[in-house]
Amino acid sequence: MNIALTLLGKLLSFLFQSLNLGNGSTWPGHIALKINKHFIREVLSNSNIKIILIAGTNGKTTTSKLIRTGLEKSGKTVIQNQSGANLLNGIASTLISNSNINSVILSGTKNLLKQDFAIFEIDENTLPLILNEINPDYLLLLNLFRDQLDRYGEVNTIANNWKNAIEKLSQKTKLILNADDPQVAYLGLQSNVISNEVRDPQKISPHSTRRNDNILYFGLQTSQFSNNKLQHAADSGYCPKCGEKLIFNAIAFSHLGDWHCKKCGLKRPEIKSEKFSIYPLPGLYNKYNVMAAKLVLKIIGLTDEQIEDAFENFEPAFGRQEIIKYKNKNIQIFLSKNPTSFNQSYQTIQELGGSHLLLVLNDRIPDGRDISWIWDTDLSEINKFRNIVISGDRVYDMALRLKYEFEGQKPKVKSQNYTFARLSASNSKVKTYEDLNEAIDEGLKSLDENETLFILPTYSAMLEVRKILTGKKIL
Amino acid sequence: MNNKVHKPKAKSYQLTVGWLYPELMSTYGDRGNIIVLQKRCEWRGINVKILPINQVTNNQQLKTIDLLFGGGAQDREQEIVINDLYKKKKAIKDLIERDLPALFVCGAPQLMGKYYEPAVGKRIEGLGIFDMVSKHPGINKPRLIGNIVAETLIIPGGVKLSHPWGDINRHIRIVGFENHGGRTYLGKDAKPFAKVIKGFGNNGEDGTEGVVYKNAIGCYFHGPLLPKNPVIADYLIKTALKVKYKTKVNLELLDDSLEQKAQNAILKKLKIYNE
Repeated sequence: MNIALTLLGKLLSFLFQSLNLGNGSTWPGHIALKINKHFIREVLSNSNIKIILIAGTNGKTTTSKLIRTGLEKSGKTVIQNQSGANLLNGIASTLISNSNINSVILSGTKNLLKQDFAIFEIDENTLPLILNEINPDYLLLLNLFRDQLDRYGEVNTIANNWKNAIEKLSQKTKLILNADDPQVAYLGLQSNVISNEVRDPQKISPHSTRRNDNILYFGLQTSQFSNNKLQHAADSGYCPKCGEKLIFNAIAFSHLGDWHCKKCGLKRPEIKSEKFSIYPLPGLYNKYNVMAAKLVLKIIGLTDEQIEDAFENFEPAFGRQEIIKYKNKNIQIFLSKNPTSFNQSYQTIQELGGSHLLLVLNDRIPDGRDISWIWDTDLSEINKFRNIVISGDRVYDMALRLKYEFEGQKPKVKSQNYTFARLSASNSKVKTYEDLNEAIDEGLKSLDENETLFILPTYSAMLEVRKILTGKKIL
Repeated sequence: MNNKVHKPKAKSYQLTVGWLYPELMSTYGDRGNIIVLQKRCEWRGINVKILPINQVTNNQQLKTIDLLFGGGAQDREQEIVINDLYKKKKAIKDLIERDLPALFVCGAPQLMGKYYEPAVGKRIEGLGIFDMVSKHPGINKPRLIGNIVAETLIIPGGVKLSHPWGDINRHIRIVGFENHGGRTYLGKDAKPFAKVIKGFGNNGEDGTEGVVYKNAIGCYFHGPLLPKNPVIADYLIKTALKVKYKTKVNLELLDDSLEQKAQNAILKKLKIYNE
């Protein structure tokens, strides 16, 4: 039956594409799952493909692309779901579009997938559902930040759902966790605790002993950390085990750092101390993506040289520090979808010496309808930017956020004619445009040839920006 | 009562804004409320001190507060908060009884009511400042989420503002975003803060939003509340000055045209138009 469903799916994809109805990327999978809800499980169990699942609030797309690049450079074949198609239907569709019907018909095997690896980015909320259907070889959990509270709910809730789902995994799964994120690291430390407490070898379930060898941690060296203060947007400053306030000896950003609990002794797990010289993308957050990808590739069996080689000429994924030439000017897009990703983008742009900003704030379903998170961002030294343009569905909310930040730097301002009144005036350095095309043109107007306009959009805004800049729709 | 009208001069007035558990209760951009209070004072030459209230704050420090603010917390953090709040119960109640202005948003009002019944776990006793109870109807019941518009109701004895948008007591529109699992029901001694025009409000049933006791306001509006609703911010500031200096202080007008645009954008989005 799954072969028939795959054929049907391929036919549908073909129809969507030839009738120009968009690429219809998740429909074939949607229909296959309607008819056989275990379609994914069955197709995968009949193949030898190794599965890498990646979940986390920030960094999924970049890390997936890093891993894919490493695997392909070493001669492996890889399938991957499209970024954004990270629910069950997206994964089923990926299987359909990458399956080889011919060989099945000719050889009579049930194996539809001939590739070596499948990399799937998974939505935080969907991970437990996916783990019911897929038993991954590698499960990489990057981080957990506050994101779209109206859709995902609270960080603690997600961490708890992950914990329950991970407990059910079989022995073959290697769990790769971020040591610097207390809630994520605790997912691994918990199973350690269980097996250490149970001294009687008869009582140790094969499950928990096996897990210990299968849990690996990545993180940064403390010398790479930038701060020693917990940022406002930090979400996990409290011990995931006992609830005590955590002590951070050093912090990378948000709540990622060298942490421990004074009360119960829980602490950041050890990471192998090794330096890595190839960081293809700027920004501390990308160092985490690189370390995560590197660890996965090493476990798979690539050498340091192979990995460094692969990362050297890495091109960013779409919208993630992607560089686009438009009307002969330089534009770089930094997807900024929650307080932590915004702060990291902002900080990286400052490090790059940027002086032209375009902020695009939308409040559609993929962005989260609640935009209150903009008040959790840190916009220090905003007045150093020469030119700031704001757009998006919630352009005036973002303008208000900036108004209060600008004023924050002038403790004594005469009332009534305070400086931000210039916001609406044409000579101001902050300009608001409801129309995105106009906003982009305005952002480019004062840009010199060797300068870059840095765009910080939310998710749907990023797709819109790309559509204007490249003339193509991506999703 | 002193009838002289004072214009605030630089450094002549000083307000201490107490912020309940900034690290634990700041889930939905609540910091925005503090930033707005602080800046709107500073632009008028009123000095502001922000006092973070946490486990180490003592009752003597609490007495120095002129304006109190509390935001939303995640469930686990809420538990840590309430255990500490019990120790500060009397001090906080005293502030409210002294007519001090207070704003509690999202989770904070639930803790200031009589009790809160979470979806799982046992009932949490509140501080009992507001005559109301909050209950979570169960983990499978939908949360009340979305943009919200309401119209303020009269606050008995509230200060008068000369803001061009009008006065809290004159039914002004407020806009925000709500996201709460708990449903709040007012007791007979409690007055609602506002009447829902679009959205859910306290419980999605009776059209009430928020609660008022003396000069303390509780509401489910985040977004945060104050940036797009500067009248509420000015109301709290003016009340704080009145209580502290026992005199009428006229607040200088600020340019709120951007605030107006942001508010209009929400009204337009929800297809509510100014008549």
